[in-house]
Amino acid sequence: MPRSSDVLPPFWTLIEAHGDELLVHARRMAGEQHAEDVLQDALLRALRAYPRLRHAQHLRAWLYRVTTTAAIDSHRARRRELPTDDVPTTASYDTYDEGAFEALIAPLPDGARTALRLRFVDDLDYEGIADRLGISAVAARQRVSTAVRTLRERLAA
Amino acid sequence: MTPLPDSLLEAVASAAVREGLADAIFTRLSTPIGRLLVVQGERGVVRVGFEEEAEDRVLGEVAAGLGPRILASDRELAATRDALDAYFAGEGDPQALPVDLSLVAAPFRHAVLETLHDSVPRGEVVTYGALAQRAGNPRAYRAAATACARNPIPIVVPCHRVLPGSGGIGNYGGGPERKRALLELEGAISPSR
Repeated sequence: MPRSSDVLPPFWTLIEAHGDELLVHARRMAGEQHAEDVLQDALLRALRAYPRLRHAQHLRAWLYRVTTTAAIDSHRARRRELPTDDVPTTASYDTYDEGAFEALIAPLPDGARTALRLRFVDDLDYEGIADRLGISAVAARQRVSTAVRTLRERLAA
Repeated sequence: MTPLPDSLLEAVASAAVREGLADAIFTRLSTPIGRLLVVQGERGVVRVGFEEEAEDRVLGEVAAGLGPRILASDRELAATRDALDAYFAGEGDPQALPVDLSLVAAPFRHAVLETLHDSVPRGEVVTYGALAQRAGNPRAYRAAATACARNPIPIVVPCHRVLPGSGGIGNYGGGPERKRALLELEGAISPSR
């Protein structure tokens, strides 16, 4: 018998469980105007990579990373002001790769990177992040939200 | 229930189908015999669930058979929905829909359901014994009954049209009341008094 953590759940159950918070995340990263396009792109990227995932752990954190990457690529594509609606050729399909996430957050200060990793790679809630950093939950939320904003501003600059 | 907008979910499903990324698509359909969950793969309808069956479990079965990339879409399954709506309105036969029997592993059960799907149209009925015979083993009427009881695609593979040789309506995966309702709808039996 395969362990339950090895069996990938139907993709729909992930959308059902996390779709609303991913849309909130897409809004935070890309703004109201682009959030739905970003999430649509993110879900398709996730579908492309899904059968190749080696285990069914941390799927929520993985979806956050894929959505973050989609938001960032969407910023870049808009900045280039392409004359067509073509999908940017730089789009990375293997966004479950930790390397892609690290590359995205590389320009940020240490503290911001740590906060983003704890939230979106380790999938900790704010209590968990607070524990890990020895700060209050309110401060943890603040730190993650500032890091996300910084990332967005840098990409939009 | 996801609060994501339908337009977003439909756009994802349609792009996924176009790109060959969907292992299966499902839709929920209101019918006179309750809500049905209809799941369809590339080759045809693979699973129909009655409303008592937990959706997660039904989708989990399909994921184990066809793959985990399962999405919801009314639009992608519009033709299937129309065929089933028409059937419940008294026209046509959902049997005309293509099916995918890959969730049925046992070879004889597979043969029984395939034979049933191919050879017993609306308005007709068959006994378990006759069905076993058509599927190649006249003595296996019990196995034929098991195949019907575990039919993953009720209504489209018409196990409600299979009756015991001894008379009566017999059993049905969705309950005998539903079997009777379907046979009455098809005019195969007269309405119960």
